[in-house]
Amino acid sequence: MNFRKIGVIGAGTMGQSIAEMLAYKGMDVFLMELTPAKLEQGLRSIEISLDKQIEKWALTQAEKKLILNRIHGVSDMSDFSQCELIIETITEDLERKKAIIAAADRACPPDVILASNTSTLSLTELASAAAHPERVIGMHFVYPVFKVDLVEIVRGLRTSDATFKSTKGFVEQVIDKKGVMVFESPGFITTRLICLFINEALHILEEGVASVDDIDSAMRIGYSFQHGPFEMADRFGLDSVHAALESMFREYGELKYRPSFILKKMVRGGQLGVKSGAGFFTYDEDGDRV
Amino acid sequence: MNILVINAGSSSLKYQLYDMKDESVLASGRVERIGMDSSIVTHEPEGRPEVRIVDEILEHTSAIKRVLDMLTHPEHGVLRSVQEIDAVGHRVVHGGEAFKESAVVTPETKLEIRKLFDLAPLHNPAHMMGITAVEAVLPGVTQAVVFDTAFHQTMPQQSYLYPVPMVLYKRHAIRRYGFHGTSHAYVSERAAEVLGRPLEELKLVSCHIGNGASATAILHGKSFDTSMGMTPLEGLMMGTRSGDLDPAIVPYTMNKEDLTLSEVNSMLNKHSGLLAISGLSSDMREITEAMFDGDKNAKLAFEMYAYRVKKYIGAYAAAMNGIDVLLFTAGVGENSVVLREHVCDGLTFLGIKLDKELNAQRSKEARVISTPDSSVAVMVVPTNEELLIARDTFKLARQRGAEQA
Repeated sequence: MNFRKIGVIGAGTMGQSIAEMLAYKGMDVFLMELTPAKLEQGLRSIEISLDKQIEKWALTQAEKKLILNRIHGVSDMSDFSQCELIIETITEDLERKKAIIAAADRACPPDVILASNTSTLSLTELASAAAHPERVIGMHFVYPVFKVDLVEIVRGLRTSDATFKSTKGFVEQVIDKKGVMVFESPGFITTRLICLFINEALHILEEGVASVDDIDSAMRIGYSFQHGPFEMADRFGLDSVHAALESMFREYGELKYRPSFILKKMVRGGQLGVKSGAGFFTYDEDGDRV
Repeated sequence: MNILVINAGSSSLKYQLYDMKDESVLASGRVERIGMDSSIVTHEPEGRPEVRIVDEILEHTSAIKRVLDMLTHPEHGVLRSVQEIDAVGHRVVHGGEAFKESAVVTPETKLEIRKLFDLAPLHNPAHMMGITAVEAVLPGVTQAVVFDTAFHQTMPQQSYLYPVPMVLYKRHAIRRYGFHGTSHAYVSERAAEVLGRPLEELKLVSCHIGNGASATAILHGKSFDTSMGMTPLEGLMMGTRSGDLDPAIVPYTMNKEDLTLSEVNSMLNKHSGLLAISGLSSDMREITEAMFDGDKNAKLAFEMYAYRVKKYIGAYAAAMNGIDVLLFTAGVGENSVVLREHVCDGLTFLGIKLDKELNAQRSKEARVISTPDSSVAVMVVPTNEELLIARDTFKLARQRGAEQA
């Protein structure tokens, strides 16, 4: 299958990052948001991200222009008519995601792949909203999508072999990332392991065993993580970590997934990490640690 | 037999159509700014006025289609139909050790070229786009690939190996390959012709200085050493490429600036060279102008650039234990009077005497620019890689035709 035009629904953090990566790889991206204001904001954030990459010598001005030229903001699914693949990446809300899948299913011919970037929700349940559940699949990217070359390809109960094969081809040949196959299960591999890692770090902190700095240093230096668990949580967004843990706690019913109290408190207090400027550490507007 | 020669870059594509009966050019042209809404197609049918079109051309397949439309255009065209194109020859930068000479495009050839993407990240993927585009638009036509590295396959081990663990060469073919081989081969042959001396007797240093730049020591007609290495990043300072540097700078900078591999790669390939030092441009013409207008950074960029060219000429004269011919070619080499003068001024100890008047004359012909008593003939030889590509493609297409018949 040829992938030239890709629809991306949702221009939040993940949507921006996915759109940016696809355009960098040479595809035309049709980026959809609920309101023109949100779309505008998403496109602006992509531009800021590209500027940051130019500062790091990763891109040139000409390449930035090319990338931005390939990203087209749209407001309606009728603009997806030419797309070979649609990636949904709105908030982790089952009902809203089902509505999006149902609408995309109606709007696109049956050979178009409908992928969801969900990290915790049931693919099978999402697919049940479509008249063609066999073309619905999970494609879980890791942030920042530009840099992290891994995609969890998630099969729901009714995802067809053909859909899986095309998706794997897309991931490994078109966007040059490693695709790992995962069967439906809350948190798949990455979210399940990393959220437990963060949650356990929070327990160590609660118990007064070590400080935030020392826990981060221990794991960063000791085990070659790029960021320690707390900075990692700040970068994911504490609310997202909290939501993922809550969801896995509900699904698995096991205490180890119960979000730490510190995490709950910080989310309630609006300390969400990089996006709010403060979490376990403080950050400037560019998302660099102060 | 008509041969279309294509040189596909990432956002541009140059073409030339040859009639191989007499090696005449029927038409040539280029597509620039591919991928933008204002791409420019410039088509020059031989002996007729140039045609220029600005339009949206988003990728290479559309660019090739445009080229074919131009070649068969009722008014500006030179062919009745695309069937009159007998073969297409592509320039390919990196042929690794797999290609010691030009080759016909087959699935195996394409696979080998793909394997070499890591080694020439700016070039091979773009050439591949050109090859795929021709396949899509002209299915069935014979395509040939002519490699920049092939000419340098004659380098001895002492030139092509790096003093690093040998296992790296055996496992990953990490060695020096050299580039611009088609150009160095062509200009050295032309130089010998113009001088009326057999190439097999000459010690020649050829400086191909364009946006990318390399110097080659050509001993008795064969590449003995060349400044570009495993990738086109080594050697001379270039428009946006650093050229030689202490390899320890790479890990040091990555650590200090928190850079990834691809960021540091892009820094050295696209954000260094003339552009980095001048802070102004990667184009030697603009650098020279700014220098004459008193821009200090431009002057520094120019001087560093010339200095590094001079060092290589000296090194290669030593490598061959002598030098009979010093030649300049490609954009900067053919056109920058001031750069040639600057380089030669510091090489009088080799017996080089530049004739400043001859050096200042503009011409499209191969010519000598040194004084009659200069012990080294300094020459400007316009390169013509396209013609060499057309010749190789013609030869391969004829062989193939004979095999099929």
